[in-house]
Amino acid sequence: MVKLTIDGAQVEVPDGTTLLDAATLAGRWVPTLCFDDRQDPFGACRVCLVDVEGSPAPVPACTTVCRNGMRVNTEDPTARRVAGAIVELVISELPVPPAPHTEVAQIAARLGVPDEPRWPGVTHSVSHDLEHPYLAFQHELCISCGRCVRACDEVQGTFALTAVGRGFDANVAAGLDSGFLNSTCVACGACADTCPTDAITEQTLLGGGGSVFDRGTGPRNVVASV
Amino acid sequence: MEADRFDRTVTTTCGYCGVGCRLEAHAQQGRVASISPALDGPANEGHTCLKGRFAHQFTRSRERLTSPLIREGDGFRVASWEEAYARIVSELTRIKSEHGPDSIAALASSRGTNEECYALSRMLRAAIGTNNIDNCSRVCHSPTSFALRKSLGLSGATGSFTDIDHADVALLIGVNPTQGHPVVGARIKQAALRGLKLITIDPRRIELADYGVLHLAPRPGTNAAMVLGISHVVRRDGMIDEEFIAERTDGYEALCELLDAYTPQAVEEITGVAAADIERAAHIYGEASNASILWGLGVTEHKYGSEVVQLLCNLAMMTGKIGKRGSALLPLRGQNNVQGSSDMGALPDTYTAYRPVSDEAVAQQFEEAWGVPLPREKGMNIPQMFDAAIGGKLKAMYIFGEDVAQSDPDTAHVIEALENLEFLVCQEIFENETTKYADVILPASAFLEKAGTFTNAERRFQKVEAAIDPPGGAKTDFEIITTVSRMLGHEMGWETPWDTLEEIARLTPQYAGVSYENLGTRGLQWPVAADGTDSPILYTTRFDTAAGLGHFAALPYKAPGDAPDHEFQLVLVTGRVLQHYNAGTMTRRTHNVDLVDRDWLEIHPDDAARLWISDGDKVSVRSRVGQTELYAKVTPRIEPGHVFTSFHFPETRTNLLVGQSSDVNTACPEYKVVAVDVRPMAEQPAFTPQLVTA
Repeated sequence: MVKLTIDGAQVEVPDGTTLLDAATLAGRWVPTLCFDDRQDPFGACRVCLVDVEGSPAPVPACTTVCRNGMRVNTEDPTARRVAGAIVELVISELPVPPAPHTEVAQIAARLGVPDEPRWPGVTHSVSHDLEHPYLAFQHELCISCGRCVRACDEVQGTFALTAVGRGFDANVAAGLDSGFLNSTCVACGACADTCPTDAITEQTLLGGGGSVFDRGTGPRNVVASV
Repeated sequence: MEADRFDRTVTTTCGYCGVGCRLEAHAQQGRVASISPALDGPANEGHTCLKGRFAHQFTRSRERLTSPLIREGDGFRVASWEEAYARIVSELTRIKSEHGPDSIAALASSRGTNEECYALSRMLRAAIGTNNIDNCSRVCHSPTSFALRKSLGLSGATGSFTDIDHADVALLIGVNPTQGHPVVGARIKQAALRGLKLITIDPRRIELADYGVLHLAPRPGTNAAMVLGISHVVRRDGMIDEEFIAERTDGYEALCELLDAYTPQAVEEITGVAAADIERAAHIYGEASNASILWGLGVTEHKYGSEVVQLLCNLAMMTGKIGKRGSALLPLRGQNNVQGSSDMGALPDTYTAYRPVSDEAVAQQFEEAWGVPLPREKGMNIPQMFDAAIGGKLKAMYIFGEDVAQSDPDTAHVIEALENLEFLVCQEIFENETTKYADVILPASAFLEKAGTFTNAERRFQKVEAAIDPPGGAKTDFEIITTVSRMLGHEMGWETPWDTLEEIARLTPQYAGVSYENLGTRGLQWPVAADGTDSPILYTTRFDTAAGLGHFAALPYKAPGDAPDHEFQLVLVTGRVLQHYNAGTMTRRTHNVDLVDRDWLEIHPDDAARLWISDGDKVSVRSRVGQTELYAKVTPRIEPGHVFTSFHFPETRTNLLVGQSSDVNTACPEYKVVAVDVRPMAEQPAFTPQLVTA
């Protein structure tokens, strides 16, 4: 077991526990963006920064392992300021603000990210894959957090999604960028479930035209025959 | 966050396969808008497959039954519930008084809840006075239930899905989890990627074979020889647990005598699997500290299916790989409540928890609770019901949630039986092949529209809660069954399914601690003690038999009921695909048909070349009892000499091809070995599916 202090409280956790898990166990909130409890920690987004006494800079809570005697401050002003700036920059690349129910919008709200970006600039151009009967991919909303790719690999095990492109052009492709329908996708939906921006979501949640199977459930008057 | 987008979110249990994924169903304006996995679901741990997550549009299909229908001439007319109930009660009462209670039978549904299955069995036993009640596990896992009870004591998996995560080796036989049980399939795949050694035994090269260390493809119907061969090597090379055998089992000597003959060479002759591979499989399994065995209908749906399950129990017991973490026997159950429908006593010979109807003490307990005398003689199982209907002894049937004319074997025989009945009630969500023969059709509820519990393949009772209301005039199955029983003169005295669950727990020591409160969000695995302690692992110290010992069964290999010959040269195996579910009643009414729109006949390239069949060709498939047509998919995943098809589309009528051969102990049909003749359609006039005898 390892003993440490989180926000002034003594905490004892098993060896190998991450700061994020320890903070969560201690009832403390740490913002996350690329983290999903169903997947291995990834440490890509730098939103889960916390201060560890003696450390030259804030550390990512999701990939830092607890050590004896650590004194952790999850509400360190520098860490929170950086986390807020990261989320603000991520959102500034989207052509439309993220929908309020999405994880990224909720983290932004909780971190006090202003609605109007301070650093407006180029935004991703709109590109949609809507061929699959269930899964919709709005590539312009992709923030390359990698959660969908890891869900496909680590939760489902189908390996249908891949990170593609570099820098501003970084995105995610299904198959050889052939779209969900023509990839090896088994439509388990794990990617849509984990996506924090609705870049991957369900067709039916996009609104628009109803399904051919949605034809009302009024009283039936048809008399069947054998 | 979801509260802003949806009117209502309930946590419920998936109604597709037996994995028992916990789901969050989000409803908007009385419709299911979306489904997401519950993160704390013990079986799915935040995952689902495309059926559980997406295939819910069928609930609002315009083809849903929304009012009772009564036969009129060659068709049906819409009727009120009062009229439908009155017709059912008057007909059942008349038939009972003219021909006695045993002229009436009912089928409970492995798609329904525990409470509904219990209620229907109570209706048959208490309101009608017969034990003629069975459920569709007869045609899938009844051999598993029989064999596990015989060898180990209890009718259920010995462990949990989490044992897969703790095993060093998993032996998969006659099961294709990535298609049939996708969330367990994903769990196995992840475990394999982390180092779990997989041995797959199947006539088809299933997807998981690509992630395993060894794939064996025995001839269909030779599983018994396969398991005996592995057991032979395990014993010969000293990989047995002598202490476990001595202290916890009996009958080992008789098994040893039998095993002598099953040398790898002898087994190679029978199964077609190389002797060296049999040795290797035995060593991988035998040398592991923890190994689990998983099987499905590829084991059970055979003439000697129940015996193969007993042989698998032998293998686990002789190596001591049972009753501990990572060493489990895990039958993957096909339907959401295959486990529960039988647990609930919807069987011709048992009350809840498999207590025999002939057991005086048990029968008296139920007589006292229900206030009526109960029959002690066991009733008819499904095949016996059809035989009795044809013979004229059975006059009326009440079929709840099972399309027997589509999914039971030897379709011609089933239809003859249904036509011969004086009165047939179908309680369904859609019209189907069986309802064509009904006198009254009652519009019932899908799993998203009802409350109660399902029991998954880990013996886990889990709550089902309604996300939406039944459409139009449809009612919940609970309301329908309790109302019919009341009108037949037997008041069950329950207001909600939770009252039923309370009665089940009160009358069943094995479920004593099961209650709405105790179930919580993670459910409970029976046996559940009165204080709510459940049992993730069975048999940690003793087996549930009279002396507490596990019983070895010395059962030799016997040839399957059908075999290829000069006229029928290929062996047909039937099964499921990921995108569809059983008879397709639900999934065919969703966008899953955009992904897979027909049943395919898989055939090996060598056979295809010999028969002049190309990929995509329409082919005729003819067996000894029927004929149908399918499109060919040429693939090396199937072994030469075999063909495979699914049975999801009614137009294929795959079960026209299946004969009467069935498991010797449980009458489970031999769906997995059917000798067929396959040829391109061009060689004979176009047939639509039809009966040879028609």
